[in-house]
Amino acid sequence: MRITFPHIGNAYIAVKAMLDPLGVDYVVPPKCNKRTLSLATKYSPEGVCIPFKLNLGNMIEAVELGADHILNVTGHGTCRMGYYFKVQEQILRDMGYDVTMMLTGLSEHKLRGFLNLLRSVSNNAPWSKIISSFTFGIAKMTALDDMEILANNMRAFEIKKGTITPIYRKSLRAIDDASDYRALKDAVKEYGEEMSGVEVIPDYKPLKILVVGEIYVVLDPFANMDVEMELGKLGVVTKRSLYLSRWVKKGLFFNPMGIDQWRDVHKAAMPYLKRDIGGDGWETVGEKVISTGHYDGMVHLAPFTCMPEGTAQCIMPSTKEDLPVLAIYCDEQTSKAGMITRLEAFTDMIAMKKAGCLSQ
Amino acid sequence: MSCKVGIPRALLYYKYFPMWKAFLEKLGAEIIVSENTNQKLILQGASLVVSDTCLPVKVFIGHVLSLSDKCDKLLIPVVRSTSEKVYNCSRFLALPDLARAVVPGVPPILEIEFDYSRGKSYLYRQIYSLGKNFTINPFKIKAAALYAWETHQRYHEITAQQHLTRLEAIDLIHNGKSITIKETKNDGLTIGIAGHPYVLHDEQVSHNLIKRLKAAGVNILTPEMAPEAPDSNGNGHTQFAGLAKNYWESEEDVVGAGDWYTRIKVDGIIGIMAFACGPDSMMMSLVQRQAHSANIPFMSLTVEEHTAEAGIVTRIEAFLDMIHRARRRNEQCV
Repeated sequence: MRITFPHIGNAYIAVKAMLDPLGVDYVVPPKCNKRTLSLATKYSPEGVCIPFKLNLGNMIEAVELGADHILNVTGHGTCRMGYYFKVQEQILRDMGYDVTMMLTGLSEHKLRGFLNLLRSVSNNAPWSKIISSFTFGIAKMTALDDMEILANNMRAFEIKKGTITPIYRKSLRAIDDASDYRALKDAVKEYGEEMSGVEVIPDYKPLKILVVGEIYVVLDPFANMDVEMELGKLGVVTKRSLYLSRWVKKGLFFNPMGIDQWRDVHKAAMPYLKRDIGGDGWETVGEKVISTGHYDGMVHLAPFTCMPEGTAQCIMPSTKEDLPVLAIYCDEQTSKAGMITRLEAFTDMIAMKKAGCLSQ
Repeated sequence: MSCKVGIPRALLYYKYFPMWKAFLEKLGAEIIVSENTNQKLILQGASLVVSDTCLPVKVFIGHVLSLSDKCDKLLIPVVRSTSEKVYNCSRFLALPDLARAVVPGVPPILEIEFDYSRGKSYLYRQIYSLGKNFTINPFKIKAAALYAWETHQRYHEITAQQHLTRLEAIDLIHNGKSITIKETKNDGLTIGIAGHPYVLHDEQVSHNLIKRLKAAGVNILTPEMAPEAPDSNGNGHTQFAGLAKNYWESEEDVVGAGDWYTRIKVDGIIGIMAFACGPDSMMMSLVQRQAHSANIPFMSLTVEEHTAEAGIVTRIEAFLDMIHRARRRNEQCV
C-alpha cells in the first residue's frame, strides 16, 4: 500500500513530517503545475471549483507514481469540499485506477479520527509514536506559517526586489529537512534572522492589504498565482487571518472544545450575514467589517462558482464600513498577467485614496 | 387590515408553498405570490448580484424585487437541514441576508430557520417567532403549524400517488382543479428528468422542457413522482442506495431521482442544471456516470439567463430522435 495526499499550499511538508517517523510508504504528488491543471480540467465536471480540480490532478499524478491509497479529509456541511472524495473516487475508477480513499471527517471525528487515520496507515504503530509524530507535524506547520508571515511582511520593505523570496524558499526546504525539534528551531531561527536582516527601505510606510477568501485558494500559491508575492513586489504588506496551522488547530482542538477563535469576526458579520453559510463566507464578510480602518484594502480570493464566497461578495458592498475590496476569481482560465494588472490598478487606487487624491 | 405577505415564486416555493400558505392564511395573513418568471425579471435579478451567482438565485432576487413594493412583509425561510447531517446548499442559507443586501427598498423579511440538528425545541421557537408577527395567541400558532404540516404531507402524498408535477399538485391543492389523467401511450418513450424543481418547473428557466416533452408524446417522470419508500421490488426513492449518501438537502431531486430512473430502466434521462450550481456540478456528474454504466442515454442541459430557447429545442429533438433510432435498430435486430 502506497499512500498519497492532495496538496494544499505547503501542507505537504507537515504531512510528510507526520508520516516519516511512522515508516509509511508514501508519495508526494508533484507540486501543482500546468500538467496537473490540464489533467484536472480534462477529467473534472466542468462547473466544479478549482480546489476540486487541482486535488484531482494531484491524485492522478500521484497514482501514476504508484500510489493506491489516498488520504483526505471530508466533512459535513454546506460546501462542496466535504463531498469531493466521492466524485473523485468515481472519476479515478472510471479512468481505470483502483484507488482506496482513506478519510476522516474533521467536523465529526475531530482529533481522534485524524489520529486513528494515522494509526491505520502506519500499520498500528504504538500511540506514543503516533502522537509524537503528529505533534511534530503540527510544529512544522506552525513554523511554515511563521516563515510565511515574516516573508509577506518583509517583502514590501526590501531595497533589492526579489531578495526575500529565495530566502523564504530556502527556509521551506530547511523546515522540510528538519528531522527533530532542534533542527526545526534552528532553521526557523536562521532563516528568520536572514529575512529580518535584509536591507530595507528606511522610513517606508507601505500599504496594508488584507487577504481573505476561501481557504484553498488563499493557501495555495499555484491556485492564487502567488498573489501575496506579487503584492509584496508592489510594495504592499499583506496580512491574512487564515493560516493552515490556525485552521487545523481550529478544526482539531478549538472547535471540539467549543471555542470560537473567530468570534469577534462572526460578531462583526452579524448585521449583514446572520449565520454560517459554510466555507469561509461568514468570516470573509466579518473580516471586511472588522478590518475597516486598520487596513487600506482587501483582496478577496474565491474559486469560480464558489457558493459561500459568491454570497459573501454579493453582501459585502452593502456594509456601512467602507473598505476597498478587489475580488479575484481563481480558476483554470485565470491568467497571471491579467491578475497583476488588476493588482497594480488596485494598489494605485488605494494609494490615491489614502493620499486624499480621490474626491469622494 | 390583514398583513400582506409576499412569497417569491422561486427556489423553495416549489417544495414548501402549500405549507407556508396554509400556515400564514390560518393566521389571517394575505398571501401575495410574485408573477411567473419572465425574461425581464431574470435580467433585473441578475443585474443585482455578482455574475457567477447561480441562475436560480438570480431568479429569486428578481422575484423579490418584483414583490418589494407590493407587500408589507416578505417570507424568506432558511432551510438549513431537515434530516441528520444533510445540509442545504450554502446559497439557501444566506437568502434573507442576500435579499436585504442587494434589493433596494426590500420590505421587512420574515425569517425562519429550519435546522434538524438543533432539535425540536429550536424548531418550535422558530415557528412561534414567525407566528408572533400575526397573533399573540400561542395556541393559534400551534394550530396553524399543525394544519400547515398536514397540508405539506398531503401535498407530497398526492404528487407521488397521482404522478403529478409540483405545479399541478399546487394547483390541485389550492384551486381544487381536477387533473386530467394523462394518457400513457404504450409505444411512447419514458424519459426521466433529474433536476431541481425550481429549475424544472419554472417554465421560463427550463424553457418549457416538460411541456415540450409531453407535446412530443413522451411520458415524463420527474423527481417528485418517485415513491418515498422503496416498494417490494425495490423501486423507490431510496436514500441514494446505488450512488452515495445524501450530502445536500435538495440533491435527492438529482441523485435520488437519477438512481430511481436507472433502476426502473427508463428510456432516457435528461439532467437539467443551472449554470454555476455548486451541488449539481458534482451530483449531475454522478448521475451521468451511473446512467452511462447502466447503458441509459443521458443528456445534460445547462441553463442560464442567456440560454436560447431554440438551442434547447434542437437538443431535445435530437435526443429523442437518437433514442427512437436506437430503439428501431434494436427491434430490427430482434
